[in-house]
Amino acid sequence: MSVLRERVTWVWLGLMALTCVTTWGLSKELFSPTVAVVGIFLIAAVKVRYVMLDFMELRQAPLPVRAAFEVWPAVVAAVILGFWFATPAIM
Amino acid sequence: MDGVWVFIGADSVIFAILFLSFMQDRLKNPALFEASRHALNMNLGGVDTLILLTSSWSVALAVQAMKRDQIDREPRLLLGGAVTGLLFMVSKSVEYFQKFAHGITPGTNPFYMWYFTLTGIHLVHVVAGTSLLTYLCVRSRRGTYDHLHRAVPESVASFWHLVDLLWVVLFPLLYLMKAA
Amino acid sequence: MATHAEPTTYTPARDLSPYPTDYRTWKILAWTGPVFLFAVFVLWGIVARNMPPFPPSATPDEVKAHFQEFRLPLLIALSICITMTAFYMSFSVAVARVMERIEGSGGLLSKIEMMGGTITCAPVMVTLAIWLTAAHEAQYLPASVMHMLYWMGWLLFDLAYFVTSLQIAAVSIVFMRDKREKKLVPNAVSWWGWVTFASFFAVSAIPFLTTGPLAFNGVISFWIAFFTWFFWIPSLSYFIIKAVDRIKAEDEAAARINA
Repeated sequence: MSVLRERVTWVWLGLMALTCVTTWGLSKELFSPTVAVVGIFLIAAVKVRYVMLDFMELRQAPLPVRAAFEVWPAVVAAVILGFWFATPAIM
Repeated sequence: MDGVWVFIGADSVIFAILFLSFMQDRLKNPALFEASRHALNMNLGGVDTLILLTSSWSVALAVQAMKRDQIDREPRLLLGGAVTGLLFMVSKSVEYFQKFAHGITPGTNPFYMWYFTLTGIHLVHVVAGTSLLTYLCVRSRRGTYDHLHRAVPESVASFWHLVDLLWVVLFPLLYLMKAA
Repeated sequence: MATHAEPTTYTPARDLSPYPTDYRTWKILAWTGPVFLFAVFVLWGIVARNMPPFPPSATPDEVKAHFQEFRLPLLIALSICITMTAFYMSFSVAVARVMERIEGSGGLLSKIEMMGGTITCAPVMVTLAIWLTAAHEAQYLPASVMHMLYWMGWLLFDLAYFVTSLQIAAVSIVFMRDKREKKLVPNAVSWWGWVTFASFFAVSAIPFLTTGPLAFNGVISFWIAFFTWFFWIPSLSYFIIKAVDRIKAEDEAAARINA
């Protein structure tokens, strides 16, 4: 099927795979909370970036617009992880 | 429709503020948030992510078809987007119903207040987006959209991808974020 | 900026009034928008201690104590703010007249806008008067009545939002339909209007909660809902003020052609 040759399809497959990794992989007990949480949110930021660039077509957008949007997943991940590290561990 | 990016940008910033606010409240009571998180259905949440990603994919292909004047491909791709949107809505409803059946409501504790608020506002976006995709699907059957006439579908598609990416962050934030 | 006639492909709706248009007054009225915002932000927001609001979870005794503690700033700020709320009405009239240049003088949306903006003054003024009364009379009133007055104010102030929503929607719809190559009000402002419109609906949750993001002091129902509106007022005002000059230039050009 021609759809398999489309870039959006490959991006979709990658996103689906990453979703499985975070939902059914990294969330398992064998990873420490730190590894799990940092891994999950870095992956989430990467996923958001690909949705922005290839689904929303921001690759073709003017640079200031693209930059403004690409900053969002980075800032969101940084803020979330920042707060996570600042939150005391529970017994 | 350039102005729609103002809406999309504002929506993204507003959700980012909400994520921050959630983390602030979590900082005050990590044990409560962790315990409450365990009642959430992680598998359903993960499936929801797969559903929305697939929906975005279908819509992206639809826009591509418009650019290439492949008018006959548009309706089923847009329908794919709308149907997966509907699937998400059904899944969410089931999830909410499960919560209510266990006596969990927005008033139960601050974590659940955030859970219902964040997923609820997101769900409103899903309903709006699915309605718009349905409208586009109907119009596409009349051959309305092609490479010269695609401003409205592209704007709706961009909004839909926003709905998708917001869930990509919301899901781990609420369901997967385990305490240290 | 047009210093000559607009391209012949677009003919703006003409002002058919037999009286000359008073552009100066029009501009002054447009400026009352930012004046209103300044008054509300400084007087109601800062002096009257509403940014952020005293919490909905406060007990009757806490509410009474709050009003007694801040009695004097509340009396000053709220009384002046009631008076200055009228500027939102005058601003709305200026906006409506600009809208009529796109919609035509018989247009419905310019009427909705003017009515919406004017009626918005009512819940604001009445609420401020309720809180002014609470501050004024606190020493004589039981805590339960103080609590009631506090809540009555917030419920009225917030839940009347849809009048303002309709005003904002009318503005966005009309200015998005402007056929000028360079619109009188850019699409970005109209879309911000839609952001504001959407953000108001969450406020309907306030009767049901006293804590969290949807409570009347929460991040959604207060910070986002109010600040989207607070940003809309000056950004729209800026372009309305400029629009009066542009319309004046269009009218003069049309007069030269028709002379």
